[in-house]
Amino acid sequence: MGVRRIYLDNAATTPLDPRVVEAMHPHLDGVFGNPSSLHREGREARESLDRARGQVAALLNADPGEIVFTASGTESDNQALTGIIGALGAHGNHVITSSIEHPAVLETCRSLERRGVEVTYLSCDSEGLIDPDELAGVFRPTTRLVSVMTANNVVGTVQPINELARIAHDHGVPFHTDAVQAAGRIPINVRTQPIDLLSLAAHKIHGPKGVGALFVRTGIPISPIIHGGGQERGLRSATENLAGIAGFGRAAEIARAEMSGEAVRLVKLRDRIIETVAALVPNAYLIGHRHRRLPGHVCLGFAGMEGESIRLLLALDKAGIAVSTGSACSAYRGNQPSHVLQAMGFDPVRARGSLRVTMGRFNTDADVEALLRALPEKIMDLRPIATYPSTQIDKGV
Amino acid sequence: MTVTVKDLPGLDCGVCGFRTCESLAEHLPADPELLKRCIYYSDPQEPGTPNVAARPLARAACGVCAAASPSKGTTPWQDSLGREFDFYLDHFPEEPGPREIILPHNPILTRELNVQPGDILIGRPLGMSCGCPITHCGMVMQADHRTGVIVWCVTGPLRPRQEGFKDLGYYIAEGYEGLVRKRRCDLKIGMRYFFQPTMCMLQWRHSGLVNYLNRTPDALQIRVEGLWIG
Repeated sequence: MGVRRIYLDNAATTPLDPRVVEAMHPHLDGVFGNPSSLHREGREARESLDRARGQVAALLNADPGEIVFTASGTESDNQALTGIIGALGAHGNHVITSSIEHPAVLETCRSLERRGVEVTYLSCDSEGLIDPDELAGVFRPTTRLVSVMTANNVVGTVQPINELARIAHDHGVPFHTDAVQAAGRIPINVRTQPIDLLSLAAHKIHGPKGVGALFVRTGIPISPIIHGGGQERGLRSATENLAGIAGFGRAAEIARAEMSGEAVRLVKLRDRIIETVAALVPNAYLIGHRHRRLPGHVCLGFAGMEGESIRLLLALDKAGIAVSTGSACSAYRGNQPSHVLQAMGFDPVRARGSLRVTMGRFNTDADVEALLRALPEKIMDLRPIATYPSTQIDKGV
Repeated sequence: MTVTVKDLPGLDCGVCGFRTCESLAEHLPADPELLKRCIYYSDPQEPGTPNVAARPLARAACGVCAAASPSKGTTPWQDSLGREFDFYLDHFPEEPGPREIILPHNPILTRELNVQPGDILIGRPLGMSCGCPITHCGMVMQADHRTGVIVWCVTGPLRPRQEGFKDLGYYIAEGYEGLVRKRRCDLKIGMRYFFQPTMCMLQWRHSGLVNYLNRTPDALQIRVEGLWIG
């Protein structure tokens, strides 16, 4: 029998909740209709689609008519940015985003730049926070959209979204946020928060892969990027992925019901890791903000051993513990330094050396204890680039 | 300033670690620092309210590259530390990554670990080779059990994670082989040059002695030995 696996990479993706599987099952075996059809099979499918839309809307306190189902968080980001600019025409328009966004936003911005859009990338401080003052200073008469993520996938820092969005509104500019990491983990209320567009994905909240959603506030002008039969208010043509959407709806419903209890539990586990590692591993430092971070998100660096992060990941993997050295979405990029850590002021060696531990619904105290037993020992086995006297460890950046 | 439950957002979200805002408020008189745990309190509803997240200096937005790496060179012939070099070293397109000729610090390891073509190895290039601080992963192309010399192609960490690996500990990077498609000067056998391996994650320039050159219609095939970073 193999070693019991401990999965601590919930920012990359999360395991399906069995209750979500149960909600998906009728659509994999029985309910097969096309929600656009008028007959009974179609009406049955439409009913499931509407139910799921209501469940996802409730997670954000949105109106169900403001939810557009997509195939991923990445597609939602693409739709938001390209769709807003598409409604206006690209040339000469200006978009503001941050330098620590997910590639789904950054690469869309690069694509827009090739079409003549001007993009300003906001910097961040050493804890990964965007400065609202900086945002306030970069608006132009041609600014059409501000897009800043709610919580960062690599370091877990939660942005002052209300303040950033309010500044955008003060300039008459709509505000988009990539909330793929945040939705279902911290409260979001689009009725009280000045957010106009918001991206989310099912598989980050124990739902299925291949389904996401974009909240588009009523009245925001936006063009589709996928054309066809006019599903999803004409914004996302294609026959709906009903099993995925039904699963997403259920996942959103569960996340909403259990969010606050889960947050308390995950904060306790998170803080236990942060405090224990600080006590047991003298060269460890926390990356990102100590408190303004997602409940289950820990990002650690080990001074002098940043270059050994692969070895640490592999050693933990061998011991049955799955963690990450950064975003899974950049794992195929030849092991480049993290653009997020570089933007936070880390030099390229340090920007390569983070250990991301992200917990979810199915992690227990025992998982954390196993990590805390394994981690100090595995770090002792590494080969530091230099031997630092403990009093001179440079933990800052 | 005394913060009471009325000043808290009332979301009972648990992100501060307390089940309710009321519970957080009860603990605040004994430990006012706990207020920092409320991500919504520090994200004020009214404009002009002091914000612990705000930073006073409004920095000019400068594009992601400049923001990410202030020291990055401004011309294509400078590395990430602003130092000049003469050519970019690309890897052979049919191979999984940059080809390196390496020697374990204890060359007998090649035999003891029974290193074979196709094996996945990890190790760090220590000391009098390129001295890179980063642990490398790669796939073995050739292994000479008499001399200990290994030819491997450096890849990312996914392969060892998925397929298992043999650990060399430290190794010496003895030589690189690859293609030169972009250069700013003529290259000659016997000369030492600064060059930039395209896939180097730190984008630090390396130097080495060119001891093989073959001009093909598409690119210059090259071998470089005697490697140093910088």
